[in-house]
Amino acid sequence: MRRRRPERWSGPLAPEPRPAGRVLDARLHLLDRQVLDDDEVPVCTLDDLELEPVDDGATPGPHAGTRPAGAATVVVTALLSGPVLRTRIFGGRPPSSRWQSVAWRHVRDLGTAVRLGVRGDDLDLTWPERWTRDHVVGRLPGGRHDPEGRS
Amino acid sequence: MIASDLLDVPVLDADGTHVGFVVDLRLVLDGPPDGPLARPRLHGLVVSPRSRSSFLGFERSAVRAPWPVAHLVRRRHRGTFLVHWSDVASVPTPGEAADPRQEAAVVLARGMTRYDARL
Amino acid sequence: MKKLLAVALGILTAIGGFLDIGDLVTNAVVGSRFGLSLAWVVVVGVVGICVFAHMSGKVAAVSGRATFEIIRERLGPRAAGANLVASLAVTVLTLVAEVGGIALALQLASSVDHRLWVPVAALAVWLVLWRVKFEVMENVTGLLGLALVGFAVAVFLLGPDWGALLDQALTPQVPAAEGQATYWYYAIALFGAAMTPYEVFFFSSGGVEERWSVKDLATSRLNVLVGFPLGGLLSISIAACAAIVLLPGGVQVDALSQLLLPVAQAGGKLLVALIIVGIVAATFGAALETALSTGYTLAQYLGWSWGKFRRPVQAARFHVAMIVALVVAVGVLMTNVDPVAVTEYSVVFSAVALPLTYLPVLVVANDPEYMGEHVNGRAMNLLGTVYLVILVVASVAAIPLMIVTRAGA
Repeated sequence: MRRRRPERWSGPLAPEPRPAGRVLDARLHLLDRQVLDDDEVPVCTLDDLELEPVDDGATPGPHAGTRPAGAATVVVTALLSGPVLRTRIFGGRPPSSRWQSVAWRHVRDLGTAVRLGVRGDDLDLTWPERWTRDHVVGRLPGGRHDPEGRS
Repeated sequence: MIASDLLDVPVLDADGTHVGFVVDLRLVLDGPPDGPLARPRLHGLVVSPRSRSSFLGFERSAVRAPWPVAHLVRRRHRGTFLVHWSDVASVPTPGEAADPRQEAAVVLARGMTRYDARL
Repeated sequence: MKKLLAVALGILTAIGGFLDIGDLVTNAVVGSRFGLSLAWVVVVGVVGICVFAHMSGKVAAVSGRATFEIIRERLGPRAAGANLVASLAVTVLTLVAEVGGIALALQLASSVDHRLWVPVAALAVWLVLWRVKFEVMENVTGLLGLALVGFAVAVFLLGPDWGALLDQALTPQVPAAEGQATYWYYAIALFGAAMTPYEVFFFSSGGVEERWSVKDLATSRLNVLVGFPLGGLLSISIAACAAIVLLPGGVQVDALSQLLLPVAQAGGKLLVALIIVGIVAATFGAALETALSTGYTLAQYLGWSWGKFRRPVQAARFHVAMIVALVVAVGVLMTNVDPVAVTEYSVVFSAVALPLTYLPVLVVANDPEYMGEHVNGRAMNLLGTVYLVILVVASVAAIPLMIVTRAGA
């Protein structure tokens, strides 16, 4: 690759106009945070985000031939977890058929954890937890016992 | 596309000069409503000239403590800037087996503006 | 009594960190070889763990986030994954030692071979994890573990030459029979034991189990300020007992039973009985602390549901992780390894885990998004930063010193 020494940019940075909505940086505020369900039960960690261009009827950009990537509006459509974690550690990319996702419409609140408005058990991606519950822990005596004595 | 298709990827300007790495994606919650919150729109890319690592975020926030850690991270990320998504000409095609000798890169449009990346 | 129970979490955390079976023996070894010339290290370690346990407890109380959640969030999957592997190694090695320790204690009481007791010990630990309420668990093991105060009593009963002891502690010198490298190897081992990462994992997750909120900040602080200094004091008492009785005679400590020699000399059978109760409770408590920490770290890194306050079916993978850890412990012990010797190797893994644990804790304790108005003050940041530097130096030095001194031999 033509990797010359990075040019020392010493020019001033343009001040960023405040956008109208809440501003978040994906890695700083979303990735690797806990995802909790409606009852504050952990669902997964937020391992990656799915981004999709939305067709907003934008005209092809000024660049001859190809439409530039930035011409289309891109939005976050889902939270991803599961196999994408392995590839974030070791590199590579899982086939999209193996992404485990939670649609963005379920997200209720963003803070030090990402809170969903649905129950974790109703989501597809919690199947390993449900499998372990149904096949292992639920079958051991006392597995449904409440340690705090609530009934 | 997923976020890690863009994160840590080298960034070139329109002439092919290396200008840094994508350390973060700037999102703004002003997309179409989708459930309780608006959809986050990809507003731009945060580019750091020297380093891919960006875990502590000191270079973008007003937090100055603990001083030595904040100071080191800020130094490492001096010159970090934000490019708007509309100034991005091309991104690596996800899933496409790129030439292994050639690292995938984000290419910026000619005449792009470097914005202040502070939050 | 209520006050005492409020600090049970701190006491149990400190017992698991300072007085687990490996540390009990290490403290006696240090006392018998170096006198009190390494007592300063314990003091340095107590201040360090107080600083970081305080921060991690504060983060848990204010934001509800336990320590490994913030490690994952700040360091990302790779560095946090490296920390997870190293921390799990330390935690599981300690768990192996504790299960072995309970079995050894049962052997002393019954003269049945300890390998037969290993599965029984593991099963007992599991039953507590499976059935018993968190508060009951911490109160019982914490209070019974207090019986180790018997070591401090023994120091007084032995009627030592206080001037000489103070002199050893305040003007530390490497004893003529020992090399510089060995002295510093033990210094790092003691410092690492005081600051073992599973203490903050357990303490912060325990805070979440007890549903701490901002109004529990005082409880958190009290737990830190009572638990860890007490753990450090007992750890120095053990070294002092060994320094008074074993050092002059040139006795080499290589087994748990030698810990009891000074106690028997000082207080007779009654004190020995008290100490044995304390050792069993401390070992059992440390087994619970390390087994739970295994579940906490894995669950918090991977986003599983966790916590003893939930029914086991509502934290299924968390419980399976702890069961697997106990099965591994039983398997390792069946190979007839010396459970205490196993813990020596945790120094290597601590070298990786310590900086990667305490850096994110320090950073998040300064983040207003998490902490609001409760961000660290200047004094706390100064202390935290100084300790971070000490941790890095100790980590870099640990492995070469271990090789040079052949693990302090």
